[in-house]
Amino acid sequence: MAPNTESHGQQPGNMSFETLKSNIQHTTTARLGKLGISGRKDIETPNFFSIGSRGVVPHLTPDVISAHAQFSGIHMALEDFIERATTGTPPVMNVPGDSPLHTFTALPSHFTTLLAPRRTPAVSAPTGNSNTAISIFTSTGFQVLPNKAYTTYITKLSPDLAVGLADVPYGTVPGTKRIAKMGDRTETWLTELLAAKPERTAIFAPILPIDSNAQSEYLNHLDDIADRIHGLAFYDPNTLPDIPATTALTRLPRLSLSEPRSPSQILRQIALGMDIFTIPFINSATDAGIALDFSFPSPKTKSESTAPLPLGTDMWAATHSTSLLPLSESCTCYACTAHHRAYIQHLLSAKEMLGWALLQIHNHAMLSAFFSAIRTSIAAGTFEEDSDVFARVWESEMPEKTGQGPRVRGYHYKSEGPGEGKKNKAAWGNLGVGVDGGEKDADGKVLEGGLVPTEGRGSWRGRGLRRRLRVYREMHSRTSF
Amino acid sequence: MASESFTPVSMPSALRFDLLARCSTTKARAANLTLPHGPVQLPLFMPVATQASLKGLTPEQLEATGCRLCLNNTYHLGLKPGQEVLDKIGGAHKLQGWKHNILTDSGGFQMVSLLKLAQITEQGVRFLSPHDGTPMLLTPEHSINLQNTIGSDIIMQLDDVLVTTSPDHARMREAMLRSVRWLDRCIAAHANPTTQNLFCIIQGGLDLEMRAECCREMVARDTPGIAIGGLSGGEAKADYCRVVNTCTSLLPEMKPRYVMGIGYPEDLVVSVALGADMFDCVWPTRTARFGNAITKYGMLNMRHAKYASDFGPVEEGCGCVCCRKGEGGLNVTRAFVHHLAAKETVGAHLLTMHNVWYQLELMRNVRKAILEDRYPEFLKQFFKDLHAGDKSMYPDWAVEALKTVGVDLME
Repeated sequence: MAPNTESHGQQPGNMSFETLKSNIQHTTTARLGKLGISGRKDIETPNFFSIGSRGVVPHLTPDVISAHAQFSGIHMALEDFIERATTGTPPVMNVPGDSPLHTFTALPSHFTTLLAPRRTPAVSAPTGNSNTAISIFTSTGFQVLPNKAYTTYITKLSPDLAVGLADVPYGTVPGTKRIAKMGDRTETWLTELLAAKPERTAIFAPILPIDSNAQSEYLNHLDDIADRIHGLAFYDPNTLPDIPATTALTRLPRLSLSEPRSPSQILRQIALGMDIFTIPFINSATDAGIALDFSFPSPKTKSESTAPLPLGTDMWAATHSTSLLPLSESCTCYACTAHHRAYIQHLLSAKEMLGWALLQIHNHAMLSAFFSAIRTSIAAGTFEEDSDVFARVWESEMPEKTGQGPRVRGYHYKSEGPGEGKKNKAAWGNLGVGVDGGEKDADGKVLEGGLVPTEGRGSWRGRGLRRRLRVYREMHSRTSF
Repeated sequence: MASESFTPVSMPSALRFDLLARCSTTKARAANLTLPHGPVQLPLFMPVATQASLKGLTPEQLEATGCRLCLNNTYHLGLKPGQEVLDKIGGAHKLQGWKHNILTDSGGFQMVSLLKLAQITEQGVRFLSPHDGTPMLLTPEHSINLQNTIGSDIIMQLDDVLVTTSPDHARMREAMLRSVRWLDRCIAAHANPTTQNLFCIIQGGLDLEMRAECCREMVARDTPGIAIGGLSGGEAKADYCRVVNTCTSLLPEMKPRYVMGIGYPEDLVVSVALGADMFDCVWPTRTARFGNAITKYGMLNMRHAKYASDFGPVEEGCGCVCCRKGEGGLNVTRAFVHHLAAKETVGAHLLTMHNVWYQLELMRNVRKAILEDRYPEFLKQFFKDLHAGDKSMYPDWAVEALKTVGVDLME
C-alpha cells in the first residue's frame, strides 16, 4: 500500500473509503479520498452527486447521462417515490431484483445511488416531526414517514448509500426544548436502522444542523458505533470541526447535505474536510438559463480584467443569438462541442425543452471539472493558495436570473396560497382581443417580429396599409387606458 | 389562367430517386431518395422538430432512432430565431447541429391554422404579426427566400390552403389555381435549385376532378418532388383515401410523393398502399408529451394507474433505446414512465424517443415487406395486431380503401 494512504479494510455494506492524502493530525483539512462501492465506478473525492427529482436528473434521460455525464452518483429522495404509501405499497417496493432503486430508475449500473428521506432543497412541512416519524412532502401532499417504514424502504430498495432519518426542522428555528429532542430522536432512529442491518446499503449517520454541544451525546454515541456506520452526512458544514477527532470518526467519508450557494462555499467546506457534495445551484442555474463558466483556480484563458469574473453566463441574453461560441471556451462537454450559444439562446427563447437539457449537461460538466481541478490542487499541496486565487478572480455569488425557467411542478415548491402570481407569463397573447398581445422585452419595448422580410415602405403605398396601421395603433393606445 | 400561359421548363433537382420495388398487388413502392445531406429510405415518416429541436431530444438521440430527415417549420423559425440570425449562423443545419436532412414547410399552413385575421390575396397571405400586431405579408417569394436562408434539403411552395371540407366550390377552385400560380412564382424566386429541392403541393379539396386538374398543372412544372396537401383537416377518411388514390395515379412514377400531415399508423400503412412515399405529423411527439405510448397493439396512456406497478417495457420486443434491454438499452419500465409522466419532462423525452422509433420502425418494416413483395400480408397482420384479431373493429374506410388496391382485410 502506498505511503500516506490509509485504508480501513473491509467495511460492511460493500463500501470502502480510503483517505489518500490528508494531514492526520488535523481532522479539519482538505483531503483526498476514494470511495469504492462494489459494482459501481470508484469515486475520487472531493466530488459531488447530482440532485435527482423523482429519480432522474432533471431534463436528462438516462441514456444522455450514460453518454455525457462525468458525475458518479445521484441523490434521490424517498419522498419522490412513495406518494402511494397512503393507499397501499408504493410501486418501487415491488421492483424485482437486487437493486430495485437502480432498476426502477433505469440508472446505468456504474452510477451510485444515494437515498435520503427528503429532497434537496426540501419543502417545509406544516406539521412537525414526532418521536417516531418525520413529515415529508410527496407529489400528492404531506405524509408522515415513520422511521420503521424508512428502515424497511432502505432494506428493500438497496440504495448504495443512505442517509439515516434525522429530526431536522425545515423552515423553522427550533427552540431549546426541540433542540434537546433532536439528538435523542436521531440517535434512536439510527440505532433502529442499524439494527435492521441493511445488507447492501452503506449507512451515513446524519449530523444535525445545531450546535455541537446540543448534540454532543449523539456525537459521542456515533464515535462508539463508528465501525457500524459508513459515513457522516452534514446538514450544516459548520458542525464538522466539532466532530470528535477520533480515528474511527475521521476515517469516515463526509457528505454535505447543506445547500452551498456558490463555488466558494464549496471550497470552504472542502477546506474543512468535506468529501462529497450535493449542489442545488447546478439545477437552479440550469433552470434559470445560466451556463456556469468558472474553473479552478483561475480561468484557463488569460483574462485582461481585474474585476471579479462572473461565475456564469445568462443565456437568455439576445447578445448570444448569433454567437457560434461554446458556452464556456475551455469546456469539452457535449453541449459545448456539438452546439453553440446561438442554439441554446434560441431554445430558451422558444421554450424548447432541449435548451435546459443542454445547459444541464454543461453545468454538470463544469462542476466535474471544478472538482477534478480541486483534487489536483490538493494532491499538489496548493489547495489553500489556489482557493485564495479563486476568491480573488471570481465573483462570490451566482449571476442574477433574468429569464424564465421551465414549468414548475407542485412538489417542487409549496404555494403560498390563493392569489399567488404565476411563475411564468403566458407565451402568446390573444391577438386582436387583448391589448397586450405584443411580446415585450425587459424594458417594456415591443420586440420586433421577424417573420417575413419587412417590405419597403413604398410597396405599401396605395394599399391603405399605412393608414390601417395608424388606425390599428391608435386603437391600441386608446384601449390601453 | 396559369395553364394557358405556361411553357414547361425542366427544373434542376438536388435529389436522386431510385425506385427499388413495386408491390405486385397494391400501389406501394420502395425507393431510395438521395438528398443533399445523405440518403433516406422510402416509404418514410418524418418527425417534426418545429422550432429546430425535436421536443427535448438531442440531435444525437434523434439520430439514434434512425431518423435521417426531419421537419422544421418555416413560420416558427421565421419568428424565432428570425431570418437575420439564420443568415448569420448559416442556416438551420448549423443552428441545430443536425448533420442529416431537413424539410421545411412554406409557412402558409400556420398562417391559416394559427393566426387570426389572416387574409389571402393574390399577392400572398396578409396577417398581423403575433408580436406587435403590425400588418405583414407572406408572399411566395418571401417564403422561398426564407427557406433558402434556412437551407433545408426539401422546401415547399407557398400554397393557398383551404379546409378540405369547405363547401365553397368556387373558392376551392380559386385556391387550387392560385396555388399553381404561386408555384410558378416560387420556382422563379428559388435561388438554390441545385442544393435545395422544391416540392409543389397538389390542392383541390375533396373534388377529384379538381385534384386531377391540379396534378396535371403541377406535374408539368417538373419539381423534384410532389406533395399532396390540404388533407388531414377533419375530412372523412374515405374521402382522404380517394384523393390520395386519385393523385398518385396521375403522378409520375419516378418522383417522391409526400402526403402532408399524416401520422396515425393505420393512415400510414393505407396511404403507402395507395402509392404515397413520405409523411409527417406532430402527433407521435405531441401524444408522447400527454403520456401516450404508440404500440402495435394500439396506444397506451402511461398515466393510467394500471401501469403504476407494471414492470414490463413500454412495448415488448421494441428496439428503441427506452425499451431495449442490454447494451445501449435503458430497459425503462411502464411503471417508471408512469412515475414520471406529467411530473418530470424526462418522462416525455422517454416516450418521445419510443414513439419516434415506433413510427420509423413501422416504415422500415413496411419497406421490407414491399421489397419482399408481401405487403398485403403485412397489412393483414398490422390490422390484426391493432384490433386484437377482431375484424368487426377494423375501420370501414381502411377496408374499403385497401379493397380498391386489391387487398381484402376481411377475407
